[in-house]
Amino acid sequence: MPKIKTNRVKYPEGWELIEPTLLEIEAKMREAEIDTHDGKRKCEALWPIFKLSHQRSRYVYDLCYRREEISKELYEFCLDQNHADRNLIAKWKKSGYERLCCLRCIQPRDHNYGTTCVCRVPKHLREEKVVECVHCGCQGCASGD
Amino acid sequence: MAHRILRDHDADGWERSDFPIVCESCLGDNPYVRMTKAEYDKECKICTRPFTVFRWRPGRDARYKKTEICQTCCKLKNVCQVCLLDLEYGLPVQARDTALNITTHDSIPKSDVNREYFAEEHDRKTRAGLDYESSFGKMRPNDTILKLQRTTPYYKRNRAHVCSFYIRGECTRGEECPYRHEMPETGELSQQNIKDRYYGVNDPVAMKLLGKAGEMGTLESPDDESIKTLYVGGLNSRILEQDLRDQFYAYGEIESIRILAEKACAFVTYTTREGAEKAAQELSNRLVVNGQRLKLMWGRPQAPRPDQDGSNQQGGVAHSGLLPRTIISQQHNQPPPMQQYYMHPPPPNQDKPYYPSMDPQRMGAVVSTQEAGGSSTESNGPSSSYMMPPHQPYPPAPYGYMPSPYQQQYPGPMHHHYAPPPAAYQSYPQQPRPESRPAPSPSAVSAPPPDNAPAGSGAPSGSSQQPPAASTTTDSSQ
Repeated sequence: MPKIKTNRVKYPEGWELIEPTLLEIEAKMREAEIDTHDGKRKCEALWPIFKLSHQRSRYVYDLCYRREEISKELYEFCLDQNHADRNLIAKWKKSGYERLCCLRCIQPRDHNYGTTCVCRVPKHLREEKVVECVHCGCQGCASGD
Repeated sequence: MAHRILRDHDADGWERSDFPIVCESCLGDNPYVRMTKAEYDKECKICTRPFTVFRWRPGRDARYKKTEICQTCCKLKNVCQVCLLDLEYGLPVQARDTALNITTHDSIPKSDVNREYFAEEHDRKTRAGLDYESSFGKMRPNDTILKLQRTTPYYKRNRAHVCSFYIRGECTRGEECPYRHEMPETGELSQQNIKDRYYGVNDPVAMKLLGKAGEMGTLESPDDESIKTLYVGGLNSRILEQDLRDQFYAYGEIESIRILAEKACAFVTYTTREGAEKAAQELSNRLVVNGQRLKLMWGRPQAPRPDQDGSNQQGGVAHSGLLPRTIISQQHNQPPPMQQYYMHPPPPNQDKPYYPSMDPQRMGAVVSTQEAGGSSTESNGPSSSYMMPPHQPYPPAPYGYMPSPYQQQYPGPMHHHYAPPPAAYQSYPQQPRPESRPAPSPSAVSAPPPDNAPAGSGAPSGSSQQPPAASTTTDSSQ
């Protein structure tokens, strides 16, 4: 048999420190995926997925850019292994989007009149104070609030 | 999405339009409206053909509304595409047809292929530019329809629907639930069917409306033969004396017209009783001036005042008297309840002109009153935020009709418009009424006293807005 090159994962140093948290979040994700839909709206059933994905990405981003506890190499490794969402983090680096909830909420093509989701509107400019956006259940991700 | 790019739009005969045919109430109170347009988005609820759906939000606290029937169906009956009420009168089809005696509704087929064929034929004719006679353009409004029509837009129908989870007690959304948390209305009126409403058959709302119309009798003449004055209620500041004159002159010689802007009413006095009766008979349920529906009732005489002096009789005119007791506010203003008055020193001899500086109340004296459960606050001269000395009551004057010495100076202080309860009736003439009007209204009278409050108050209460429908439609072609 010809030699089959497998991609074996080589974990960079420092991985053991962050691995437990990431695994925990991933376990929650699996639970959210198999949860029943009873008592929830159709869109509401998807909200935990978005929330956990945000949480996971946030953890990795914070470690690298805010607390600076992991190396760039490890950070890139996490992104490659899909432990964090690269595109979402790219948005967080921009001003005004530091707290963005998910990528759907800023996509104008997904909304009527080509706007963004209501969760992106700062609370003091909104009319309804309590909102849960329909995409990810976000209650306000404007940088000000 | 390559859905319709290659298709020939005219071939299938589906309807396309640029702007919806919609009534004012459905368009909303906001002159700025943002609307989406979706070609062939839904099928018409009546003829089931695809048509262009427009969707917008009629105001801040409204749900999103969309066109429900196609323009072909809407033009056949001259109704709004959303609410299916008549475009001019705001009435259900059945009510309008009975009131105007239109009987063409049989000609629209209701079933199956017949209906589709009729609709398509009609649509094709319109698009080909054949000017089919729209019978609705030629309708002359008759009395009944004027009685029944809606004159102001009704925005309550734009509210959100009732939360069905709340009805069962299961609404988990709580604060952010966009639906109304109220119990739904039950009863015969809530079983409505869009097809019945459109064809004008078996429509409970229309039947109720027609029933009420039948009972709206003419105004009964009062027994007291000397009353020649009619009370007109529901005025707003845009209605001028000339407008009233135009309306009323045809029935007899008008002796006087007195408008009371603060109470949004007016008194029209005829020289003859017959004139007044004729006017009452003709106009009783049909009085519409400048688009505003006005209420017409008989005036009531005032009880003779104990200190009535010569100058009152000098005017020699029929006092317009008090409002009939059964007045119900035409619009949303609730009449403030009547108040009892304390004895006040009678005014000095009214033969000489009476100036504000002669009246202690006008100069800011505090008057305490005993209220009959009223909403009025104690008048406190300059310190009160609403009350200003000019609004303070004047010495008792015959209601609605000033004796001549007063006339030039205080044409407008008639705050006592509402019939006092009988007990207070006797005491009424003697006491000036400390008036506090939380809603300052502009004085529409010709010669405002110099120290009267500047008419800087806000929009008149009864005015209906006329929003230009400045709407932008965005294509949502997906």
